Amino acid sequence: MTDRTKFQPALAFSLAVLLPVLFFSRRIAGAELNPIYPVLWTLFTALTAFFIIYTGRVSFYRRIFFSGLAVSFLVHFKLSLLSKVFASSCFKDTPYCHIAIAPSFFNYLYQQYLALMSGDWRLWGPLTLAFLWLFFTLVIGRAWCSWACFYGGIDDGLSALPKKALVRSGFPAGWFRDFPAALLIFLLLVSLAYMLPVYCLWLCPLKMTSAFLDSGDAFVRKIQLALMLFALAVLFIGPLLTKKRTFCSFLCPFGAWQAFWGRINPFRVIVDNEKCAACAACLDSCPMYAIKAGREGKPEIAAYCNLCGECLPSCRRGGLRFSVFGIKIRDARTGFGRLLDPESFFVFCALVTAGTFGALFAPAALKDIADLLRRIL
Amino acid sequence: MLSILSEGFVLGLSTGFYCLTSCLPVLVPYLLSEGGKAWKINFSIFLEFLSGRFIAYFLFAVVSVLIGRTYNPYLPDWAAPLAMALTALAMLSSLIFCRSAAAGGVCAPPVSPFFKRIPLALGFMTGINVCPPFVAAFVRLAGMADMTAGLFYFTGFFTATSIFLLPAIAPTPFLNERLKVIGRMTLAIAGVWYLLLGITGLIGL
Repeated sequence: MTDRTKFQPALAFSLAVLLPVLFFSRRIAGAELNPIYPVLWTLFTALTAFFIIYTGRVSFYRRIFFSGLAVSFLVHFKLSLLSKVFASSCFKDTPYCHIAIAPSFFNYLYQQYLALMSGDWRLWGPLTLAFLWLFFTLVIGRAWCSWACFYGGIDDGLSALPKKALVRSGFPAGWFRDFPAALLIFLLLVSLAYMLPVYCLWLCPLKMTSAFLDSGDAFVRKIQLALMLFALAVLFIGPLLTKKRTFCSFLCPFGAWQAFWGRINPFRVIVDNEKCAACAACLDSCPMYAIKAGREGKPEIAAYCNLCGECLPSCRRGGLRFSVFGIKIRDARTGFGRLLDPESFFVFCALVTAGTFGALFAPAALKDIADLLRRIL
Repeated sequence: MLSILSEGFVLGLSTGFYCLTSCLPVLVPYLLSEGGKAWKINFSIFLEFLSGRFIAYFLFAVVSVLIGRTYNPYLPDWAAPLAMALTALAMLSSLIFCRSAAAGGVCAPPVSPFFKRIPLALGFMTGINVCPPFVAAFVRLAGMADMTAGLFYFTGFFTATSIFLLPAIAPTPFLNERLKVIGRMTLAIAGVWYLLLGITGLIGL
């Protein structure tokens, strides 16, 4: 029997997500693809929205959507390496990688300075990129890493596969958790020094599948390859061993960047100390090592939290919740009133953003899969 | 001589950005790691670093003029990669041997008295790495072949390029223990990076 007090709000919510995502997906992918593919992608996004509101399980359905987004990226841009059968049918160029924004930021500033000096500033990309990044940061902030990033989708999906962690890895939650911040400072400076995207050249695991940009000598290339293989292992094997998002937590400079700038975004996960029993269940559940034990063992949420919502169901007393600017708002759990609480508002922003970003490659991936099936059958 | 001094200064002003890119990856991690909340500590590190650069620049001024006179090749090929490797070792040894200067610790790896002044050594070794503005200054000095003029020229050049490094001490008043740990990790990464580049450069000779 369908619960109408849940069904109707969930349907209304999914429609609210569907309309903007459909509009943007058609605009982005409609020119090159049969309209059915952006529509399918939009329906997938809207279904995710529906089930999140209908069941109240944010992270579970988010993860399905998020992993789907990451898999579609791999299908469309990376599987062609295995066989020509997987060659992408359209959109041959990968979208500009958001991770490169952070470590190459000074380079962009310098390029924009040159553009301004040349008088042709409007012809240059960095300023456009900066506006896009600022817009997404204002809309979802740190949540980009748990809702829209294709690296994060791989890491997050894999971390959910093992039932138990084979390697207990609580120790990095301390000072080593700041390693991406150190990596970011180093990369900002050294990228500027060499006027090169050093992260992409030396550490990006997905760059391995493309051509090397520089013509360094054989020794340097071997080191680059070794580092990329290491990063690939951290991305694919780390989550399977630890049940944590190891790449996002320790090797992603964009994560550190977004943790810093994400403060300007209003959405937060907050702890209700009155409900908290200091059981530490949320510490174990956080895949990002973003929760640590504070006073009297009660959880403190670090800036690295990217609002995946994984900790929410781990607290049996409901002591964790989404919030706007950390303000406690009494939220309705049933009926249409639920659509006005911070959680629904946040999920709406996150899904519309991720759905629109995914339209750059997910509909194309659906077409690739359809083409492949047609060829096989 | 004033015109020579100002010529060096103008060259430094116009090309100082390159100095910033070669010196900041060394200076910033060190400042984050060993600086303190007090401007005095940070500024003394900064000045020591600049002194190292100044010594290196003077050395260059002398060498450039001598080249102008004798047409001998100036620094040997191994000097820059070796300096890079030594910079890396100085950075890594400071990590191993230094306790925070702000906490009253002493930064003295037991290598040589020179290395007891880590920022000075870092400044010197980044100073002898040849960058495009240096080449421009070198060509001018080799043409002049005048020792006094050369020293004036590089003084102007050094002063102007140092201005570009000033932003490095701007974030240091916000230093706390957590940021210092991040600074040490950055220093370690930068140390390994320069060591790698130095070794690669030496192997490739």
